[in-house]
Amino acid sequence: MRLRYIEMGWILAVKELLRNRIALIFILLIPSLFFTLIVATTSDRPILFKLASISEATVFEVGERKEALIFMGLATIAFISSFLGLNLVQKHPDVDRRLVLCGYRSSELIISKMGVLFCVICLIGGYVILALLHFLQPKHLVQALLGLILGGYVYGCYGLLAGAIFRRELEGVLSIVLLVNIDAGWLQNPIFYAEAQNKVIIRYLPAYFPSQASMVAIFTDYSMVNSAVGSMGYGTFLLVFALMIYWGRMRLTR
Amino acid sequence: MKEDILEVNHLKKCFGRYSVLKDISFRMGSGEMIGIVGENGSGKSTLLKILSGLVRPTKGNFTLRGPIGFCPQELQVFETLTVRENFQFFATAYGIHGWEESKDCLLDRFHFRQYEHRLVSQLSGGTKQKLNLSLALLNSPELFLLDEPYSGFDWETYLRFWDYADDMRSKGKSILIVSHFVYDSARYTKLFELKNGVLK
Repeated sequence: MRLRYIEMGWILAVKELLRNRIALIFILLIPSLFFTLIVATTSDRPILFKLASISEATVFEVGERKEALIFMGLATIAFISSFLGLNLVQKHPDVDRRLVLCGYRSSELIISKMGVLFCVICLIGGYVILALLHFLQPKHLVQALLGLILGGYVYGCYGLLAGAIFRRELEGVLSIVLLVNIDAGWLQNPIFYAEAQNKVIIRYLPAYFPSQASMVAIFTDYSMVNSAVGSMGYGTFLLVFALMIYWGRMRLTR
Repeated sequence: MKEDILEVNHLKKCFGRYSVLKDISFRMGSGEMIGIVGENGSGKSTLLKILSGLVRPTKGNFTLRGPIGFCPQELQVFETLTVRENFQFFATAYGIHGWEESKDCLLDRFHFRQYEHRLVSQLSGGTKQKLNLSLALLNSPELFLLDEPYSGFDWETYLRFWDYADDMRSKGKSILIVSHFVYDSARYTKLFELKNGVLK
């Protein structure tokens, strides 16, 4: 692994991203839009819910708006990071392969893309947590940020995997819309989860660990370590698959 | 006796039942310029992709001695980077340290220095092709594999390309060009026609 190659790949991928102004505007606009909609459509009435990573018997009482903001914050990060991951891998595979032909290693290229993705996830995580601070005070701020970043990590890796698997944009976009909507945008909502008939399926979905980590850190004094480790493991599992498929696609015959 | 820089033995390539290359064999020595012409869909680009390592042959083998510079038929450059940044990225890939000098030389040679700091997406098709070609020439390899290198060039740039090719040949570099048309057959050491999957 050659650091100079990764650094150059990272710098130029950042430049490409910064020149895509419409995408940048959307990245900034989407969290604000989602939060505005929640503030406009929810009330402060208390709701009761359970968290899957804590005892089934423990019930929490939180304002509806606060719960919805956390849930939507995570869904927002999942959406943005997965689309960005998809875009980074799918954008110009032929030119990437030409770079490999000229001497780059496919691992160096994808690591530089991951570096860009990780930076964006951290920035969005910070942006979302700052926005959340207007409405609630998390019990553990740093852990709450970590939970959101882990959500971005897991779904960013899913985006990289989708980009490595699907050669065309439409299939990649649909695979993301389908999973993020169902998972981060619906099933991981603790209000739904508490009453779900089949919780096993929900526990195997990508957003399970990060959503638990965020909720636990924001609303409780319980440890989020297990959820954080689970998130890292899930994301890394997806990432390894993405790397293998990407390597196969970039591989030369000689 | 000069050692062949490229030796191709009985290459075959099939896509499903369709056999695009049936039996391709030829040799190329240092300083040679070989041209391969053929109709659209005759398999010229497939042959070059096999030689560059992008596509696996169905049968046969080939031996390359020394580094290659490959110019694909399609524009394979970063559209949202500038011309300079494209050079920088590819120079990193080649592992060239004094790349600025090579870049300046190519910018002057093909007359597109004025676009150095422009985004590729803002350039004309011909200028993009100049960049596409220049990226293959940047590392000054022993063998150039050029797929329709002058497509989209104006006449002056076309002549500049041949000046450059002659310079490279005089330095002992070898050049393999595939194209669907050839203006000056006298420029080539050997000229083949690829028809029905074989070289004639």
